Amino acid sequence: MLNVEKILFPIVMLFYLAAMVLYFLFTALKKEKAAKWAFRVQLGTLVLHTLVLICRGIGAGRLPMTNQYEFASSFAWGLCLVSLVFIWRFRFPLLGTFAVPVILLILGYAALQSREVHALMPALQSGWLGLHVSTAIIAYGAFGVSFVISLIFLLRERRSDDSFWARSIPASEKLDLISYRSVTLGLLFLTFTILTGAIWAEQAWGSYWSWDPKETWSLVTWLIYAVYLHLRIRRGWKGRTAAIFAAIGFLCVIFTYIGVNTLLPGIHSYK
Amino acid sequence: MRKIRDLLTSMSFAIVLLVLLAACCAFGSFITQGQTYEWYAGAYGERAAVLIMALYLDDIYHSWWFFALGGFLCLDLLLCDLVRLPSLIRRTKKAIDPQSILRSPVTASLSHVADPAPVFSALHMPEPKAFGQDGVSGLFSVKNRAGLWGAWVCHLGILLLILGFGLGQMTHMEYTVYGVPGDEKPIGDTGLTLSIDDFRIDRREDGTARQYTASITVSGKNAAAQSGKASVNHPAALHGLKIYQNSTGWAAAVTVSRDGETLQEKVLCAGEYMPIQALPELSVFFNAFYPDYAPAENEALEGHAYLYTLYYRGQIAGMNILLPGEVITVDDYTIRFSDPQEYTLLQVKQDRFTSLALMGGLIVLIGLLLAFYCQPRTLWALSGQDGLWNVYGFSPKGGALFAEQLHSAQEATPKLQKEE
Ligand code: HEM
Repeated sequence: MLNVEKILFPIVMLFYLAAMVLYFLFTALKKEKAAKWAFRVQLGTLVLHTLVLICRGIGAGRLPMTNQYEFASSFAWGLCLVSLVFIWRFRFPLLGTFAVPVILLILGYAALQSREVHALMPALQSGWLGLHVSTAIIAYGAFGVSFVISLIFLLRERRSDDSFWARSIPASEKLDLISYRSVTLGLLFLTFTILTGAIWAEQAWGSYWSWDPKETWSLVTWLIYAVYLHLRIRRGWKGRTAAIFAAIGFLCVIFTYIGVNTLLPGIHSYK
Repeated sequence: MRKIRDLLTSMSFAIVLLVLLAACCAFGSFITQGQTYEWYAGAYGERAAVLIMALYLDDIYHSWWFFALGGFLCLDLLLCDLVRLPSLIRRTKKAIDPQSILRSPVTASLSHVADPAPVFSALHMPEPKAFGQDGVSGLFSVKNRAGLWGAWVCHLGILLLILGFGLGQMTHMEYTVYGVPGDEKPIGDTGLTLSIDDFRIDRREDGTARQYTASITVSGKNAAAQSGKASVNHPAALHGLKIYQNSTGWAAAVTVSRDGETLQEKVLCAGEYMPIQALPELSVFFNAFYPDYAPAENEALEGHAYLYTLYYRGQIAGMNILLPGEVITVDDYTIRFSDPQEYTLLQVKQDRFTSLALMGGLIVLIGLLLAFYCQPRTLWALSGQDGLWNVYGFSPKGGALFAEQLHSAQEATPKLQKEE
């Protein structure tokens, strides 16, 4: 199974690359047909990517979400899923143009990580692990989408006189609303992630909150997105300032995920 | 007073407080916590170390100013929820009052609709009700009024969560007990005793640990014995205490004998002393195994040496390595190390406010669900003189997306529109 995964993984990356090219074609040439095909290819790649994760899960005999490689792959999967839902729901293919390169970047990071399968230490063998990590994947995916939308928002603002951007991007108000939807999805799931993590930590280590850097940074992320929500309510700070905070929020997400493991010490870094 | 209240309950203040809190939390993760002055001086320089100690940056999350920040947040949340409660109740009541609906802002509208019923159902609104007022008649339908309470419930949850966490921090008790099967040890100053009845390590084929399980009994003078099992991820709850299988360490049996007769025997955990009863001024200390153990089942446990220290009247009298089979000889007594084994380290905790914090967390989740996925919306239709209807919608959070939905509802029912 692990061999199947090994073969499929680069194929998945190639397919994402194909989807990216199609999205670029759509953006550059304004061809709706390319957008349709890009969406289909991305959807197909999601199915293939799911297969890769299933193979990994079967091969390792557990959920494929417990080391940097597996989590990066799952994170990319979550971003792919959430972006597809948002593209479909809000008829917004331009999201794919920006999201698929981010997915590829994350997969590139995954490809650089060790793929060895290690047995789980006892503390990691908990039903809460599955809930904790799978909600984190959706949360991170949703925040990734909001990051991409915020970038588009800021780009649109800077180039409001450029007719190409004005034509191919929804109005700022709608962008702001879509970004809000993705942040709310992410925040809901992040809250769930933190709660399940706390319940699990209580059972495994006897303390539901111990200011471990990863815990701390997920709280920082949570607070930043809370600030975003409040900024949106306060008139005047809705568009630009909120978009900047949504972008900062995602940088916190990335730091929580990569920076904490590599730069700071803590319980989460034993993986 | 009013000014202070207005400032505290203002959105800008909340934002500043939240940003400040996020910044402090982040800051604390960059400075290694819980070290000594000397450590900081070595790592960051003398000046920085003085600053770190003066501002309690060595233990940010337990510093008085961090607590104060948390307290401020609580006060702010409480004030905000109290101040907004009456208007929230009023808004909830008004949301289904036709007179208020007629005066409410409009997010999007449709005109010249022949039959409004399909628009209501296309937007998944509840069955519309008829109303007639001041010569105006029409239909209205209100959905997700509970969503108005989302932020309020969320803030209440955060308040309870912080309260539960803070009270827990202030009142919780925590003890560590370690030992091997047969040991009976006091649990701090609780007056209770913990007996380790058994300790098992379940290993996989490759020798890595799958699970550690300690069977334990807690009893006291006025407390009947209660037994249970504590394993990783499955703490035991006995006499209101939660007992966690936290970690393990290495131990060895130490035997004192003379002329082949065993005088004293004890399992000594690494890091423990044993006074020799027959030689009252002498005690033996088990430092560690040598070389350090990387435990694996198929490894010959007996192949390792024991690092020990002998103390005579509290002073080090000797320190050495004992190979398997070797013994320490003092006068005609022999001290032997054997039977290497793992001991269990159990953490005993009591936090009466965990459930309050958990409840707060769940309330936050409910609040967020209400705020985000139960968005209130009102749809009403007024009949015009030409027999056609005008349909109005109000969705405070829907904006352009709601307008799109409303217009696509009209597109979905084209046959029902009459041309003017
Ligand atoms: C400093 C403490 C805080 C104060 C004073 C405060 C105040 C407020 C106020 C006045 C609103 C407007 C509600 C409305 O217009 O309906 C609001 C909304 C909200 N607040 Fe807070 N807030 C605080 C902290 C938080 C925190 C830490 C969170 C965590 C996520 C939070 C989550 C929310 C949410 C979800 C909304 C509704 C936003 C929406 O529906 O889009 N608040 N807050």
